[in-house]
Amino acid sequence: MSNLDRFGLTIPQLDSIIAEGLRGGGNWCDLYFEDTAYSNLLLRDGEVSSGGHHIDYGCGIRVLKGEKTGYAYSESTDLGSLLSAAKAAAAISQASNNAAPLSLPPCGIPAGNFYPMERDWSLAAVSEFVPFLKRIGEAITTREPRAIKVMATLSYSISHILMYNSLGELSSDTRPLGSLSVSAVFKQGERIEKQQAGLSFRQGSEMISDANLEYLVSKTIDGVDQLFEARRPKGGKMSVVMGAGASGILLHEAMGHAFEADFNRKGQSVFSDKMGSRICRKGINIVDDGTLPANRGACNYDDEGVAGQKTYMVTDGILTSFLHDRISAAWYNVAPTGNGRRESFRYNPIPRMRATYMESGTDGSLEDLIASVDKGIYVDQFANGQVKIGEGDFTFFVQSGSLIENGRLTMPVKDINIIGNGPQALADIQAVAGDLSVDPGTWTCGKEQSVPVSCGMPSVLVKNLTVGGE
Amino acid sequence: MITQAEIQTAELCLELTRRHGAQQARVSISKSEEDLIATLNGEVDKVTHCADRSLSVALFVDGRFGSFSTNKLDSESLDVFIAKSVDIVRMLAPDPCRKLPEPERTVKDATTGNELELLDPFYPNITADIRRKTALAACITGDRELIGDWKLISEEGEYSDSIYDSLIMDTNGLRCFHSENSFDYGVEVTIEADGEKYSSYDWDSASRFSELKAASCGAKALDNAIGKVGAQPLESGRYNAVVESRVASKLVSPLLRAINGYALQQNNSFLMDSLGKKVLPEGLTIVDLPRIKGQNCSKYFDSEGVATKDMPIVEKGVVSSYFINSYMSGKLGMDATIEEATRPKVLPWPKAGLDRDAIMKLCGDGILITDFNGGNSNPATGDFSYGIEGYAFRDGKIVAPLSEMLMTGNFLSLWEGLIACGDDCRSCMSKLIPTLAFSNVDFSG
Repeated sequence: MSNLDRFGLTIPQLDSIIAEGLRGGGNWCDLYFEDTAYSNLLLRDGEVSSGGHHIDYGCGIRVLKGEKTGYAYSESTDLGSLLSAAKAAAAISQASNNAAPLSLPPCGIPAGNFYPMERDWSLAAVSEFVPFLKRIGEAITTREPRAIKVMATLSYSISHILMYNSLGELSSDTRPLGSLSVSAVFKQGERIEKQQAGLSFRQGSEMISDANLEYLVSKTIDGVDQLFEARRPKGGKMSVVMGAGASGILLHEAMGHAFEADFNRKGQSVFSDKMGSRICRKGINIVDDGTLPANRGACNYDDEGVAGQKTYMVTDGILTSFLHDRISAAWYNVAPTGNGRRESFRYNPIPRMRATYMESGTDGSLEDLIASVDKGIYVDQFANGQVKIGEGDFTFFVQSGSLIENGRLTMPVKDINIIGNGPQALADIQAVAGDLSVDPGTWTCGKEQSVPVSCGMPSVLVKNLTVGGE
Repeated sequence: MITQAEIQTAELCLELTRRHGAQQARVSISKSEEDLIATLNGEVDKVTHCADRSLSVALFVDGRFGSFSTNKLDSESLDVFIAKSVDIVRMLAPDPCRKLPEPERTVKDATTGNELELLDPFYPNITADIRRKTALAACITGDRELIGDWKLISEEGEYSDSIYDSLIMDTNGLRCFHSENSFDYGVEVTIEADGEKYSSYDWDSASRFSELKAASCGAKALDNAIGKVGAQPLESGRYNAVVESRVASKLVSPLLRAINGYALQQNNSFLMDSLGKKVLPEGLTIVDLPRIKGQNCSKYFDSEGVATKDMPIVEKGVVSSYFINSYMSGKLGMDATIEEATRPKVLPWPKAGLDRDAIMKLCGDGILITDFNGGNSNPATGDFSYGIEGYAFRDGKIVAPLSEMLMTGNFLSLWEGLIACGDDCRSCMSKLIPTLAFSNVDFSG
C-alpha cells in the first residue's frame, strides 16, 4: 500500500488542504501525515511478563507567513478535519500581518535509502522476541554472579510518513526504529552498583541477533570490578581524554546545539557571528550526518521532505555551516541541510541534529593521548548532557572513567559531571586520535521535542574542563 | 469535559476486552486542547492549536498483563486493536502480581471531574484576540525604561492555555473523572554585555486565567540575565549551599524516586529498607497534599484510580511511606499505598516564614544556586553531580555571579547537612519545595 493510499487521500484533496491553509495570506503550507505503530517488551525478574502496543495516527499542518509559524494537527485524516486544522494553522496570517515574505526553495536532492530492513518488524510475532530477552537476562546472571537484578527492554516501531507542500513536493518515507536497553544491579558485600547498555538502529528485526546480544551483555557486565573500586576524584579544572564513541556527547552539547540555525537566526547562539571563522585547530572536521545506514540518526528525508544529507559544520577548523530547516535556510539564503525534524505530527519541525561526529584525526592512538597527560582524567561512558545556548556553557554526566597520573590510568572514577564552555572547549582540543567510532546507543535529544540522534568521536584530548569531585 | 459519547467508547472498549478473552481490564480516555502564542522580540512568532484524544487499555488475560494505547477511536478500529492486544498479552509470561486495585481503595467521589475546582469558568470565553493580547502585553521588547542601556539580543515568550480531561473505568466498576485548565506563560531573555551573551528565564502557571502573572515574567528574566554579567567560577572547595525554591525540586525528586516501589523492587534505590527508619535529618518533613482545591496538579486519584489522600512521606527524618502501587504490592509483599506523590510539600524548618534572603542571612557565607545545568545522580548509591549557576554570597548578601561550577556529593550526606527549609514554595509548581540550605557541600570550579 502506498502511503498516499494509507491515509486515504488524493493529490487534489491534499491541494485543497494546502489552499485552505494559504487562504488567509500565508506563503507556505506543508502537511505531515504519520501512522506509527510502536511495541515494547520488558524482561523483569527473569520473565518477559509485560509488553504493549501503541498506535499514533494523524496529520500536522504548518502555515508560514514569512518566518512566522501557524501550526495545528488532526488525529483524523478525513478531509473535513484536515480542512479545519488547516484553517487553525492559517491563523498565523492574521496574527502577523507585517511579516516579510520568505521564499522557501525546493529540495532539489533525491533521497537515499538509509534504513536497511531485511525483516519488517510488523511481520514478526511478539513471541519471537521473548526468548531473546530471556537469554540476555540469563547470560548476565550466569557470567556475573554479582548481578542481582536485570531488566531488558525491546522497543520497536514503524512510522509511515507522507509529506506534501505548497511547492507540490510529495515525499514518502517508512521509518523502522528498534532499540534494546539493558540495566543490571550488582551487589558486592553491602555495596550496590548499577550499569546499563543500549543499542538502537533504524533497521528491522534482524537486529535481534547473537552479535547484538553479546554486545549488550558484555557492555553491561564489563568493568563491574572498577565500578566497585571507583571513587570521586578531587574536583577542578584538568585535562580530559575522551574515549572514542560516546564521547560525541561533547560535540552534541558543546557545539551541535549552538550550530542549529534557529538559535543563530535569533542571535542567541554563542556562534551566531562566527560563520567563516576559525573556531578550532586546523585538521578538525565536525559533521552532522543523516546518511549513515541503519544509524539511529539516519534520515531518508527530514520531516520537511528534504533529502537526508551529510553536512560539514566545521571544515579544517573553520565554521562552514549551520544546521538548517527550510525556514532558516531561506533566511540565510542557503540550501536546507535536511535538519528540519520533529517528534511527531503533533510538533512543527525545527533544526535538529542527526548523527553528529568528528572525523578521525592524525594524532595517534588513545594510548598516545593518555600517555601525554601528567594529571587528568579519562572518560568513556556517559548518561546525559545539557547546554546553555547563550553562554555556551555545557555539561555532560560521566558514568565511568579513570584518573590519569603520569601518563597512566590509575583510580577508576564514576558519577561525575563535567562542565565547560563550548567555544573554549573547541579551542582547547589539543589532540585527535585516528579511531573514530559512532556510538550505537539509544541517544535521544530533548530540545523542545524528543528525537532520536546519535553521536560519535575519535579519542580526543581537551585541556581545562572542570570536573566535579570532592 | 468527557462527553457521553466518550463514556460509551470506554464502555464499549471494556466490553470488547471481555469479548476477546480478558478477565479484567482498565480503560482510560484522556483528551486535551491547547492554544499557544509564541512571541519573538515583541511580535507574534508562532500560533498553534492542538487537540488530542487517546485511549489506553491495561489488560489482564489468563494471569498475564499488557498495556496498550491508540488514538483511532472508531468502533471498528477499536475491535481490531483490542483483539490484537489480547493476542499479544497471551504471548507473555504469567505474572501473578498483576491485578486491578481492590475496589475499596479506588476513588468514589470523582464523579464530575471538577471536584477540585480546577476548571476556570472564564476559559470558554478566551478568544484568539485575548490570547494574542496576553502574549504581546507580557513582552518587554521596546520597554526602554526597563531595559535601559542593556543590549537585548532576543526575547522569546510563550503563552498557552489548555484544558485536560480524563476518565478511568475498570471491570471492577471504577468510574472516575478529572478535568483541569492550565494557563502558562514562560519567557527567555538573552542580553549581550562585553561581547558575551547571558540568558535567563522566568515563568508562571495557574489554573485560573485571572491568576496568571505573565506580565512580571519578562522583567524577572531580564533581571536574572543581567545578574549573570561577568559570571566566573569560584575556587573549588566546600561551601554552604542555598538552593532557590524554583529549582530546589532537583534535590527532593531523587528522594521521592528512591522510595517508589519500582526502584525498591529492583534494588535500585539508595533508600532500601528505610521505611520507619530515621535516615534523613530531623529538619526534613515531607507531606503529600493531593487534594487542595484550585491548585495546579491536585488530583483525586492516581493512574490506577486509587484515591489520593493527605499522607506523611518523611516525618522529622523518618521515612513514613513508600509509594507502592497494586503491582508492586504483590511483588514486594507490602500493603499498597499510592503510585507516587501527587503534590509533595517540604515543610518549613527550623521555623516558619523564612524566604531566600532570610536563609542566606542565616547561612552567612556560601553559594546561592539559582539554576542547574545538567548533571545526574546514581539512583542505587545516591551519588550526584550537577552543573550549577548562581551567586556567591557573603554576610547574607549576594557579591558575585557564578558560572561553570559543579556541585557533587551523595544525597544522604547532603541532607545530613540540612540548615533550613524555607516557607516560600511556588504554589504553581507540582512539587511544593521551598528554598533549601545545606552546609559543607563540595563545589568544583
